[in-house]
Amino acid sequence: METAVDVAATAVLGLGLLLATIGLYGLLRMPGVFAQLHAAGLVTGPAVLLVLLASVATGRAEILTSAALVFLFVLVTSPLSSHAIAQAELRRGREDPDAERD
Amino acid sequence: MPDLAVDIALGWATLLLVAGGVLLLRANDALHRILALDVLVAIVIALLTILSYQRDVSYYIDAALALALLSLTATLVAARHVTRGGPF
Repeated sequence: METAVDVAATAVLGLGLLLATIGLYGLLRMPGVFAQLHAAGLVTGPAVLLVLLASVATGRAEILTSAALVFLFVLVTSPLSSHAIAQAELRRGREDPDAERD
Repeated sequence: MPDLAVDIALGWATLLLVAGGVLLLRANDALHRILALDVLVAIVIALLTILSYQRDVSYYIDAALALALLSLTATLVAARHVTRGGPF
């Protein structure tokens, strides 16, 4: 039981970091804010959540409760900040038609 | 979790932080910079979490919670500032 949880947590931790790597690669490749936002959503959302999920294997109540708090908070705020950035880009594009659109 | 896995994860997250720094330096206007900072904060949250797994203490995650709170406010206000010229 103990080893199964360890293996699962290690896999989840590795998967989270892999998602963050893929997201950062996308961020460095994509040109416009909208395209970059697509990749950024992977880093700010699932990647962080998976890393936090690995806290189950530590077996310590303090770490687990703090991680659960951060988990819930990130779950709520990551879409909020993405939406704010997308809306800002949309507004900026509307107000200034000569601005670079990609 | 095995110590080796946590150590590797810590090194990996540090490399991601460097990539995030490159992203921030390559940003050429305010919104790109806001986006890069948002991503950097996400990486720092992951880094602090892994650090707390490594040292087996909980207060690094509390720091991550405070950082996530500040990051939300900063992103919302800065994104608003770009389009309306003020926070409100």
